Amino acid sequence: MEFNSLQYLVFLPTVFLLFWICPHRLRVPLLLVASYVFYMSWRPIYGFLIAGLTLGNYFLVPLITKTEKHKKLILGIVVAGNLITLAIFKYATFGMHTLKEGLALAHINWREPHLHILLPLGISFFVFEFIHYAVEVYRGKEPVKSLPGFALFASFFPTQIAGPIKRYQDFIPQLAIPAKFKWEYVDEGMQQILLGLFKKVLIADNLALVVQAGFTHPENFSSLDLWVIVYAFAFQIFFDFAGYTDIARGSAMLFGYKVPINFNLPYIAANVSDFWHRWHISLSTWLRDYLFIPLGGSRGGTLFTYRNLFLTMALGGLWHGAAMHYLAWGAYQGVLLILHKEYSKMLVRVGVAEKLLSSKIYHAVSVVITFHIVCVGWVFFRAENLTIAWNIIQKLAQAPIELAHFSAAQLAILQIRDPIIFPALVLILPVLMIAQPVVDWLNDKRFYLSPPWPVQVTVMVALMCLLTIFSPDTSPRFIYFQF
Amino acid sequence: MDNSEKANLKEASCHQAKDVCFVSSFAFAVLLYWLVNYAAWVNGFGQTEATKFPEKNWTSWAIGDFLKQKKSPDLVFLGSSLMLVPLAGCDADYTHKRIDGSQHHKSLYFEDVFSRKSGKAISTFNFALPGEMPSDADLITQFLLRHEKAPKIIVYGVGPRDFLDNLLPSPSATDPFHSLSRLGSVEEQASLFFPDWKERLNYELSKSVYLYGLKQDITCKANQLATSKAEKYIPLPQTEKRFSIFDRRALMPEYRPGELNVGEAFFRPHELGEREAFADNLIEYRKRYKSLKWDTYITQMRSFTDLMNVARARGIHVVVMAMPITDINRSLLTKQAWDVYRTGVRSFALSKGATFIDLDASKKFALSDFMDTVHLHTGGGRKMLDCLADTLSADRPTLVALGIKPKGVQLASGLRHATAARSPKVIKAARSKARETRLSLSGNKPL
Repeated sequence: MEFNSLQYLVFLPTVFLLFWICPHRLRVPLLLVASYVFYMSWRPIYGFLIAGLTLGNYFLVPLITKTEKHKKLILGIVVAGNLITLAIFKYATFGMHTLKEGLALAHINWREPHLHILLPLGISFFVFEFIHYAVEVYRGKEPVKSLPGFALFASFFPTQIAGPIKRYQDFIPQLAIPAKFKWEYVDEGMQQILLGLFKKVLIADNLALVVQAGFTHPENFSSLDLWVIVYAFAFQIFFDFAGYTDIARGSAMLFGYKVPINFNLPYIAANVSDFWHRWHISLSTWLRDYLFIPLGGSRGGTLFTYRNLFLTMALGGLWHGAAMHYLAWGAYQGVLLILHKEYSKMLVRVGVAEKLLSSKIYHAVSVVITFHIVCVGWVFFRAENLTIAWNIIQKLAQAPIELAHFSAAQLAILQIRDPIIFPALVLILPVLMIAQPVVDWLNDKRFYLSPPWPVQVTVMVALMCLLTIFSPDTSPRFIYFQF
Repeated sequence: MDNSEKANLKEASCHQAKDVCFVSSFAFAVLLYWLVNYAAWVNGFGQTEATKFPEKNWTSWAIGDFLKQKKSPDLVFLGSSLMLVPLAGCDADYTHKRIDGSQHHKSLYFEDVFSRKSGKAISTFNFALPGEMPSDADLITQFLLRHEKAPKIIVYGVGPRDFLDNLLPSPSATDPFHSLSRLGSVEEQASLFFPDWKERLNYELSKSVYLYGLKQDITCKANQLATSKAEKYIPLPQTEKRFSIFDRRALMPEYRPGELNVGEAFFRPHELGEREAFADNLIEYRKRYKSLKWDTYITQMRSFTDLMNVARARGIHVVVMAMPITDINRSLLTKQAWDVYRTGVRSFALSKGATFIDLDASKKFALSDFMDTVHLHTGGGRKMLDCLADTLSADRPTLVALGIKPKGVQLASGLRHATAARSPKVIKAARSKARETRLSLSGNKPL
């Protein structure tokens, strides 16, 4: 069931009504049933997978607290069990293929078995939630007592498929609160849902047309075109995922629950480190807490820290998908973070004036450069494989030559008049870029915390009308559903 | 966890409570949204003529061409690509010219051969469309073949796919349906066209939410407006080669796959021995015939009978032609599927007074007459039209309907019958009979 489907339009209000009609003690079981209905509507058999993992973690993790001697062993078993499940479903085919290619280099011809494994939706997300739970209990936190509560933590339908990755300490206690219905839940929740749908359906899905054409047939586009297409993808993936997160958070809010934020205007980041504090926050904090720190974090020397940073980001890249281009994307991010650390140190060594570093011009230039560095990374992320990614990057590098002899005739996107999104990009992309600092400014003014009531209503009515008219009959899936 | 902790968590989990009496902004927005819809409905915002289609496709071209005709054609062909391909291809051979599929909606060859055989010149219109199902043919008959536009004869070419297609989720999923459903109400047949609850909900929403119902038209207008603004503010760069629709199709094959523009689909004349190689489309048909889907069969058979009832009520004589297919294609069907198709088509056609021509059983068509396992090539098409002309020129009900005096038949009585059939009383009676037939066909039982 997709958030932007008619099924969800029926499902969500039904669950919402039942939830607030039910007495408090029945609410968690109700949401649990609803979450399994939501999950199994795609492929019923995988309901057993999430149920099996839930039971396994629920019964095994508390054993960590029972023994001091074997707690590390039990943690290892639990983490390994979760990771092996993820590996079987997500990485088995990739592993076989990589092995085959490796053997081929050694002139060994091996016919890989064809595995008919379909990736269960959301497995990467709920496995990470289970690992977080096990590690936190190992670190001394209380295990969850209620099985329905724990099962709901893993399967809660708003966050089930693509996060945000929740923390059980934040989520489980909310279930215990006998909340009373408030219109505020509906208002805030529906505002987020409408905004999320707007981001997904009206922005991301339209940009997807350009991106699909550009990344499938890069040979048809000039270097400058490809830059525009890469910018378009940067905003497509942001609005697609941020749209999903908004709908997820809005849906949770309808039941009075809060789930963590995932984005904080990532494209106004002034450096790569800042970007990762703003992009997919629930994942980056998970990687920090359960991968970077256990690897040793920055508790060793510089090289040791850089190794950990690189490994964390490379594995984070591989988490997104079982393919070399995701690994390359992760490794690229790792290298960028290392370079940024070195650059920061260099600035201190050289003694660049603090005044310059804190100037608005320096900040603006940093934002522009960071955005472009991130965009180059997106090429690895979006391309079908490394070869295509490399071809696109080579072509992107020719932009200065094209700019030197610039004419509008170079831009294929201006010649395509149907769909109109192609030429419209020259207007839309600057608006989307400018919107980021504007929203940041409004955030500073705390506008979003209490927008005037007429503004709330007008925005909602406008969004409802736009979505009613311009929502396509079929919409591409959310990008992060595949992870 | 103590109470204070709980209270803190409660505070954290909820939005800041307001001291003032809170009115729901969402509830107010919904009310306002309803008012916007109402105002749009009152002002007729976004409404366009039903025949101004948001997208040009096979169906919209055919409808536009049909409505432009000053005189109703004597004979209308209905069917899927099984009819379209041989008819148009045959005309390309006959005229020795390329035939533009979007513009050519008649059968010149049939008109010629029939006039030679019967001694009467007739006009034809080809309403055979790619992917047309009996449900679409029914809508064409209901919405278009009426009043002064009613032909005298409908020749409907059917094949097993029309009743047994496993790849068709519902009758409303066809390309022709999207264009045809604009021309009239499908309310009476809503359960037939939208068997799935999601489709039904979508249909009900499009009826009850004004802006949602007109979204295609408004989107189209907004697109036109955006395009004109783009022309003004983002001028088209001067280049040697213009970006064409063919470039777009290569670049974005999934964007508007059903769109058809002038000059995009040609039927070319073939000299003997110049034909394209036989195309094996068995993989596709294996999927289409995978199992005997009773839902699809019953739904399409109901539309098929409805079509004949409506036609009869309007005094249009129907000729049902079971199209030939190759043995290899037929072998993909189970015996049960083949039997229910053949028996159903034959018995319903005959029970409704239609002329039934079983070309498939005629054994006149060999594998060499086909371009793939189901479509006749132009040579096979010529053979088919010859057979059809032969049969119709000797078929009394057809000749009577066309006003040709058949040997040994009183023309006057025939004409009387045809005229009487067009009277409102007879139409009403036939409509009620059609409803009865629909009722009798309900349920998931084999016919």
